[in-house]
Amino acid sequence: MPELGAVTRALLAIARDTKDDRALAGEICRACVEGLDIDGAAISLLTAKPSRETVFASDATAELLEDLQFSLGEGACIDAAVSRRPVLVADMNDPAQTARWPVYAAAVVRQAGVRALFALPLQWGAIDVGVLDLYRRAPGPLSATQTRDALNAADAATLILLGLRSDPGDEQAWDRSWGNRAEIHQATGMVVAQLGISAADALARLRAHAFAEQRLLRDVAHDVVARRLRFMKDT
Amino acid sequence: MANRAEEVAMSERDTGREALLIKAFVGLADTLVDDYDVIDVLDRLAGYSVQLLGVESVGILLADAQATLRVVASTNEQTDWMELLQLHADEGPCVDCFRAGAPVNVDDLATAAARWPRFVAALQERGAYGSVHALPLRLRGQAIGTLNLFHGAPGPLPAADQALGQGLADIATIGILQERAIRRGEVLSEQLQAALNSRVIIEQAKGVIAQHGNLTMHAAFDRLRHYARSHNLRLTEVARQIVKTDLTADVLTAPAAPKPAASRR
Repeated sequence: MPELGAVTRALLAIARDTKDDRALAGEICRACVEGLDIDGAAISLLTAKPSRETVFASDATAELLEDLQFSLGEGACIDAAVSRRPVLVADMNDPAQTARWPVYAAAVVRQAGVRALFALPLQWGAIDVGVLDLYRRAPGPLSATQTRDALNAADAATLILLGLRSDPGDEQAWDRSWGNRAEIHQATGMVVAQLGISAADALARLRAHAFAEQRLLRDVAHDVVARRLRFMKDT
Repeated sequence: MANRAEEVAMSERDTGREALLIKAFVGLADTLVDDYDVIDVLDRLAGYSVQLLGVESVGILLADAQATLRVVASTNEQTDWMELLQLHADEGPCVDCFRAGAPVNVDDLATAAARWPRFVAALQERGAYGSVHALPLRLRGQAIGTLNLFHGAPGPLPAADQALGQGLADIATIGILQERAIRRGEVLSEQLQAALNSRVIIEQAKGVIAQHGNLTMHAAFDRLRHYARSHNLRLTEVARQIVKTDLTADVLTAPAAPKPAASRR
């Protein structure tokens, strides 16, 4: 098993506690700036409206980058949100990399003095949480190791923002119980159908039940899939 | 190339297989030149592998950004079987194949219990499995995942099957990489991440369908796949709409899939 990257490890040490989204986003962005070869970071979250809101930007440049694409209506971050794929732009001056949004790319270089931008969607299956934007003034890709660390960090950040990490520092719980657990995803879908709620809310209900019963989420999910446990409205 | 005598001696199995091979090759090529869904291609590929290689069950696993192998396609979509595949990825020939970037053949599972006690015990609990063969999904000297063949009877994988299996594994690699036009060399981890997230969406959608229709997870996947294919829609997109909005009723009221050509346990 390869070592977890520095940023992913730092994120796993963040406890949700009573922090709000803004404080959590701040901790996530700071861990990225410290651990990756970048100058700044920002997180925007999906709101109830079909739009996003920047909840944290590590500096004025990161904030300007967010403002630019919201006002232009295009950009790497919007692309990442819509395509639900990481959008990694090593050089904003390279037309081959910016063909989809030339106006935005020109503005990023001229107004913000930024050359490299990496936009990572924060998603968990069909649950879209937001986008993590990382920028650097100098052009160039992230190394393969840092790309892996950043992708893992985006997953960890998603779980933190979904309020799903209750055991900070437990790297084992992260690496074995989540992405690998088909049952957790299946149980999420079953609770969506049982209660007529969103997948994010269904996951929260599963998590709350596990917490109240002092059980592991995956054991609760197992009972749901085996139809030994069924969630009822207003219980 | 086979010489004339060997051609004459070609068994009936081979003649039948040639027809199947044409169907699989044309079908996959046809899919890969169009806009396609990577999970759907891997699912088709797993189905063809069962038919072409005469195996009981096939599973395809991809490595995530942490190099942990995760199930992306399986000819058996039941929860317990997928858990077994995952166990296979933690302790079993699958992970050895991935690390070595080379095939790992377990011709007789009965002799492999000492090496992989949990995996072999879990497999034997399910009865009729005699051998397992894991083939790497190769890319530039590295493995990005594995194609796993589960046979009912013990025995070595014939050389022709080994070559064909590796060819199918290589098509899987191409399918994953080509899903979107490759713009840069570093695109690989992005592609893998997207494919793995697609699989999570499909698991969530299976749950919704299974609950609404009171179906097993395997039957729920069959409904999902049949609906996507018969409406010419992307599997992942249909799954997303099932989880996000309410396409479930449409999927459940659409006529059930006819018995698929691929044998499914």
